[in-house]
Amino acid sequence: MRKFTKPTWLAIGWLSLMMFFAIFGWVLPFKSWNFVYEDDLEVGLFTNGHILGTDSNGYDLLASIVAGTRMSIFIAIAAVGLGGLIGSVLGITAAYVRGKVDTVMVTIFNVGLSVPNLVLALALVSVLATNVDINQAVPTWRRVMVLIMSLTIVLIPILGRIARGATLSWTGREFVTAARSMGMRDSKIITKHIVPNVLPALIAVAFLAVGVVIIAEASLSILGVGIPDGASWGGMIARGRNDLEYAPHVLYVPIFFLALTVISTNHLGDVVRAQLDSREAKV
Amino acid sequence: MSSLLSIKNLGVNFDTPRGSLEAVRGVDIEIPAGTSVGVVGESGSGKTVMCRAAMGLLQGSNVQRTGTVVFDGNELTAMTKEQVRNLFGSGMAMIFQDPMTALNPVRRIGSQLSEGLRVRLGMSKKDAMVRSKELLELVRIPNPTAVLKSFPYQLSGGMRQRVMIAIAIACNPKLLFADEPTTALDVTVQAQILQLLRELREDLKMSMVLVTHDLGVVAGNTDFVAVMYAGEVVEYAPTTKLFADMRMPYTEALLESIPKIDHKSGTRLSVIAGRLPNPTDRGVGCGFAPRCKYAQEKCHTQHPELQKDPDGHLYRCWFPIGKAL
Repeated sequence: MRKFTKPTWLAIGWLSLMMFFAIFGWVLPFKSWNFVYEDDLEVGLFTNGHILGTDSNGYDLLASIVAGTRMSIFIAIAAVGLGGLIGSVLGITAAYVRGKVDTVMVTIFNVGLSVPNLVLALALVSVLATNVDINQAVPTWRRVMVLIMSLTIVLIPILGRIARGATLSWTGREFVTAARSMGMRDSKIITKHIVPNVLPALIAVAFLAVGVVIIAEASLSILGVGIPDGASWGGMIARGRNDLEYAPHVLYVPIFFLALTVISTNHLGDVVRAQLDSREAKV
Repeated sequence: MSSLLSIKNLGVNFDTPRGSLEAVRGVDIEIPAGTSVGVVGESGSGKTVMCRAAMGLLQGSNVQRTGTVVFDGNELTAMTKEQVRNLFGSGMAMIFQDPMTALNPVRRIGSQLSEGLRVRLGMSKKDAMVRSKELLELVRIPNPTAVLKSFPYQLSGGMRQRVMIAIAIACNPKLLFADEPTTALDVTVQAQILQLLRELREDLKMSMVLVTHDLGVVAGNTDFVAVMYAGEVVEYAPTTKLFADMRMPYTEALLESIPKIDHKSGTRLSVIAGRLPNPTDRGVGCGFAPRCKYAQEKCHTQHPELQKDPDGHLYRCWFPIGKAL
């Protein structure tokens, strides 16, 4: 059970490193990510003390990556956490109550799922994160909030459906009837009997969702509606794109970090799911 | 003797895409206090649905329950969900058929067992755990302290069924529904569990409804027997009387289909030909008529009413066995 394969350890290691960047990035001996090294514009890897080089603005890429990790991971965890919480409350309630509530909820989920994720997020961000006066910049925190909110709205039906499906299969089990025959309230049955069984399935999907959100956030940044001043991986890719011919590393460094992180979360999601399947088989 | 549970004209219908499914119809049962009543019948005859309907555990918009159920002076069918819930645990409790699925796989035995005590009797967490340990001892589980900390998958089927019994008797119910408590267990464990139930029933002065499809289980463990067929109680009598002097051809056929030790080897097992009638379309006559060797014209065209012998023996047959016609 505790024996993981090598790729799993690598994924855990990589994600731990990213979490370290996100939480303790500020202790690393870097100047601010947007400090301009005027003498080192677009230098390559391992040059003049810039481990990952610099971009055309003279920003140190490693410092940018660390700062970007904070933003990307924060957005991903916040969106998945909120989306998972709201989605599972709605999904579990719908599946437990059944009837009209369920029908309405499933319809809402299906409508949400029928709109392509990115288009929905794009529409929400571009409407909510713009000022009436286009010359006035939108503050970063508001952009971040809108981004999280849009991605949460995208995630609610995805995670909500998983929660609903899992709840449906568990409420049919005899132990739920047994709990009722002992006079337990529905609210207690849900928190004590349903949620602990539904949670593993949700966690497996949540890992996959973190990857999806990181990608979505990067895509929005590349499209120009993400975090404008670039303290995120997507922002770095967006800026690096312009200098692809002269300084490819400016583009490839954030892509490398982004890709490895998404692969790691997907892999861990699969591992959790596999554990879950063997557990299901045993029950 | 007053009745602890009295079921009158109980019917259960399920709305299905293929029409209304009549799982239980016109069931009348009186369960006197302090007795054990067996409910027998083949799979699909409505035993489990009858018990769950009596307790009010069937939920869903597609379930319709008719008739009245009176438990200990309370008319369950006229009470709110909340009021019925207050009778659960300390009034009525149920042991479930399959000990593999009736325990929550992700929670420890101790928390599942103490849950009822805390919810129903308002015990503190600590007291409930102490009591849980006593209950596990009561159902003869060795090393109860370790079992309290175990998960269901760490226990064998027999152990889990004992835990189920411990959960059901935790709040000293007056009436225990045992829904095929031994079906999922092998024969040696089955005997132990039945012995345990018998002893607990005497010690705690519980009444019991023992649902089973095994007439052998009924014979040694019950005072009365209700035979169910196609959703109806077709015969109801004291256990000894039923075995000695049955009225219903179905009961006779059931008894004949038990293999006997003195049969010559190579003797074919006696079976009841045919199947239960389609529950969505019960037909007009007696449900058993197509499979009954005594069936006559009347059996196919008229549904038999419940008849009563002077000694209280109930049956649903136009041409009962052992009665001069």
